[in-house]
Amino acid sequence: MLILSRKSGESIVIDGRIHVKIVRVEGEVVKVGIEAPADVPVHRQEVYEEIQHSNQEALTRQSLPLPKLNGKNGAKKPDAPLPPAKPRLS
Amino acid sequence: MKCAEAIEPPTTMKCVETIEMEKPAAPPTNQIRLPMGLLGFEQIKDYVLLANPAEEPFAWLQVESNVSLAFVVIDPFIAMPNYQPEIPQPDVDFLGLKQPDDALLLNIVTVQGPRRATVNLKGPIVINRRTHIGKQVIIANAFDYSVQHPLPVNQAGA
Repeated sequence: MLILSRKSGESIVIDGRIHVKIVRVEGEVVKVGIEAPADVPVHRQEVYEEIQHSNQEALTRQSLPLPKLNGKNGAKKPDAPLPPAKPRLS
Repeated sequence: MKCAEAIEPPTTMKCVETIEMEKPAAPPTNQIRLPMGLLGFEQIKDYVLLANPAEEPFAWLQVESNVSLAFVVIDPFIAMPNYQPEIPQPDVDFLGLKQPDDALLLNIVTVQGPRRATVNLKGPIVINRRTHIGKQVIIANAFDYSVQHPLPVNQAGA
């Protein structure tokens, strides 16, 4: 791992297109500003890993029977219907 | 979509390029493209959204290149009527959303059996209804929500 020392207000440039700036240091908390092109996803690692793990658990390899939801919460809200079998996105 | 139906291309343009040009205007089916994939599945970008009335309110987001792979999804407002996801501005810009109604939200469900299912409320898939392009977004208020929010499953059985 490359380790660089930076002061508040100083930056690092990655690949000529990603800028990482140390905005502020407050005790144990470091505020980092990141400028990256729109096609470069930037996430907090712990949230990223939590969702990644959840996605991996959710992937199904065959059509499995789905549970039924209880009436009150399971009832469709008229203003927010699920997309039906026919395309409704347009 | 056949080449013959395409807008008359300049003579130097190939058929395949004509199809590319038509695509953003009117996506023909319920195909969904996630240019960044899903978190952990970044390489899988093309999906088909399928819904069977008997399985409502669930729907399927099927991997286009492998029909045996799919995610169960749900309209999050059914799972949690007061769900208030905050979509970060860079994601709004990336998806080209002009107003809230442009967005279709689908949240991924983990089915653990006929009696238990949870929904990920931290990372909804946000889809632009006009372009069918979407992204799994980590909402700005993710700390207010669970990645395993229990769904109100009917314990009487499926």
